[in-house]
Amino acid sequence: MQAESLGKEAIIPSAATAGATAVSAAPVRAQAWSVGGLHCAACADLLAALLRRHAGVREADVGYAAALALVHAPPEVQLQLPAAAQRAGYTLVPAKPLAAQALRQREARSLLWRTFVAGFCMMQIMMLAAPTYFAAGAEVPVDLRQLLHWGSWVLSWPVLLFAAQPYLVGAWRTLRQRQLGMDVPVALGVLITFIVSSAALFDPAGPWGPEVYFDSLSMFMCFLLLGRWFELRARHAAATALTALQGEPDALVQRERGGGGVDALEAVPASALTVGDTLRLGLGERAPADAVLLAGATWADEACTSGESAAVHKRAGDTWLAGSINLGSPVRLRVLHVAQDSHVQQMAQALQQALTQRTVGASDAERWSGPFLAGVLLLALLAGITWAWVDPSRVVAVVCAVLIVTCPCALALAAPAARVASTAAMARRGVMVQRLSAWDALARITCVALDKTGTLTQPEVRPCVLREAGAAPQVAAAAAALAAWSKHPLSAAVVRALPRPGPAWRWAGLSEVAGAGLRAQDPQGRWWRLGSAAWVCEAQGPIDLHQDTHHDTDHDTHALPPGAVLFGPEGEAPWLAFEPFDAVSPQAQVVVTRLQALGLRVRLLSGDQVGRVQALAHTLGLKVSMAQGGCSPQDKQAAVRAWTQAGQRVLMVGDGVNDAPVLAQADAAVAVGGASALASRAADAVLLRTDLSALPDLLLQARRTRHITRQNLVWATVYNVAAVPLAVLGHLPPWAAGLGMALSSALVVGNAMRLSHACAPARHTSTAGG
Amino acid sequence: MDILYLLVPLSVLAALGVLVLFAWALRAGQFERIEAEGDRIVFDADQTQPPVPDDRT
Repeated sequence: MQAESLGKEAIIPSAATAGATAVSAAPVRAQAWSVGGLHCAACADLLAALLRRHAGVREADVGYAAALALVHAPPEVQLQLPAAAQRAGYTLVPAKPLAAQALRQREARSLLWRTFVAGFCMMQIMMLAAPTYFAAGAEVPVDLRQLLHWGSWVLSWPVLLFAAQPYLVGAWRTLRQRQLGMDVPVALGVLITFIVSSAALFDPAGPWGPEVYFDSLSMFMCFLLLGRWFELRARHAAATALTALQGEPDALVQRERGGGGVDALEAVPASALTVGDTLRLGLGERAPADAVLLAGATWADEACTSGESAAVHKRAGDTWLAGSINLGSPVRLRVLHVAQDSHVQQMAQALQQALTQRTVGASDAERWSGPFLAGVLLLALLAGITWAWVDPSRVVAVVCAVLIVTCPCALALAAPAARVASTAAMARRGVMVQRLSAWDALARITCVALDKTGTLTQPEVRPCVLREAGAAPQVAAAAAALAAWSKHPLSAAVVRALPRPGPAWRWAGLSEVAGAGLRAQDPQGRWWRLGSAAWVCEAQGPIDLHQDTHHDTDHDTHALPPGAVLFGPEGEAPWLAFEPFDAVSPQAQVVVTRLQALGLRVRLLSGDQVGRVQALAHTLGLKVSMAQGGCSPQDKQAAVRAWTQAGQRVLMVGDGVNDAPVLAQADAAVAVGGASALASRAADAVLLRTDLSALPDLLLQARRTRHITRQNLVWATVYNVAAVPLAVLGHLPPWAAGLGMALSSALVVGNAMRLSHACAPARHTSTAGG
Repeated sequence: MDILYLLVPLSVLAALGVLVLFAWALRAGQFERIEAEGDRIVFDADQTQPPVPDDRT
């Protein structure tokens, strides 16, 4: 229990202040479900209402565009949900890549099947109806004409019972909930057309006249389903990208059975782990769950969770975050939280939350959809009554056209489809957008404030020669060859710092001492060490470092810099020293230039020393006035407030815990590397990689999203405004109404899908030839 | 033209037969990966990426 609370604290510093879900007696868990059977935005509401009514469910949200439901409930209640949803006609499967993929496949298959039935029957019915179109039936005997209509009638049944089923069932569901869904007008149109045509067929002399509309019925059904199929495929493409984020299929981990020992190791999938299991984690392996270190000491690369590329030293009793990589010797870990709770999973969950939450615009649309649909029904009724006076034979066609053409599907999809497509595109590029409404804010940004020079810089080392023997090129080459064996960030920096290809000798008997360095034997049998000053010096006993140092470099070796890496043979004073320093990362310049090219003001806002921040600004080509150093969190907030009051819209980029307040205050905020859980919570988007190169892409994508959303809204509005009068005046046959409705939805979704191909960064143009 | 009285019901029956046939094809997974045939020309059996053209020869 104690270990558990320790882990929690390590992951979410002061969770309560961050607005996390309150803790109650029953452990409420958030679980994401992939939803099948959704076919309009109103369905998503219905399902959310249904889930919220379920006993024990604390909170439930359903996002239509990503077909995801996020439910907060105790685990045993979660288990009951699929059955409850099934009774209402929806399918829930856990939002795991494989299960969700299977669900999507079933859904796509069934829709394709319905579309085919409608399309095939439409063609057959057309063929049977064609003779009756010509010459007022002069050449077609009355009984043959009646036979053709009977044929149409038989072929309409599959359309009505099978192809139109989603609409009829959807309409029935919403009506039972005493609501008006978008399926209601369509279902009404289908039923009216079929019933009136059947009545005309059975009694040609009756009040409905001899006219039948089976051809119209099957045709608009086919077009509607075709539009829906394209929309489904597009939505599935987005959903696939998003569920893929939640992790690859389970990796195998080494778990200890019972008493421990090498024999008692077993390989189990990461999902089979439970709290309290003991794991072995070798060099370079990734921890599958949050854990506590039991034995051994090592270095961990937490870049995937904390964004810090510097290795973190871990001793027994330290917490080990899921996703962190072991950089040193093998260690034993005890699992604290299984995947559901782990840090990476929490970030994935934040994304799911974003996809299911209502945006302000969407909730407005929902409030208006009821009255809007009631208006549609009233309009159809009025048009029907008017046409009964003018030309009774056209009443059915006009009413049907009005009901179908006014379906506000395109309008409802305009903004969400674009935002979801963009979110999926950026997720593939390693950027998690946590709030869909953030896209608007990101598109309006005029000023970018970059914090934390650590994201603009990367660790490098400066080599300096301590002994004359060390100046030989093969010594440097040997040091580089030795350093290349390690995954430690500083080793990588040593490799980068030394002139690479040279005649290096072969190292033998290589070993890595966690938290210290590398030890190996050269061809002459002499042992060498590369590592921390304390560890390298320990091998040679108390030696005065400056005894015979090489003084002709401009570098002052008198005070060996703290944290220096040394290289030398055992029993002798070290030959080479590597002084760590921060270097401007190669992407930083590109990022700043690209941001400026977007017309944005780039500022530096850092807690680092003023001189260093200004030097960095100078390197990046920024005006010194744009760089503010030595800022406390309050100073940063004040600076952002001042810019906002001056009419700028500020995007804050930061990563530390102390950045959380300023991130929350800025118009939009991006956390780099998800550094601290607190900072990522306050941010609108999280860059999963440490480098900033995705930042300009994110802003560019936001602008494209805004552009395409506007296009969509304009198109959907124009379509509805233009089509309704045409339908009321009788200029739009039902099949054209179906085609128009399907096309407008497909156009809106297709337009939004252009966003799912994220604007490609300037890549190398050709791989061939050079 | 009397033959029409036979042909029209027959065509309706044939249409229903085709629906059954399509149902079988769909269940058998014939439409699972409609891009597969197109990909086959471009990719090798074990490849997921198109081969990089090599113009050094």
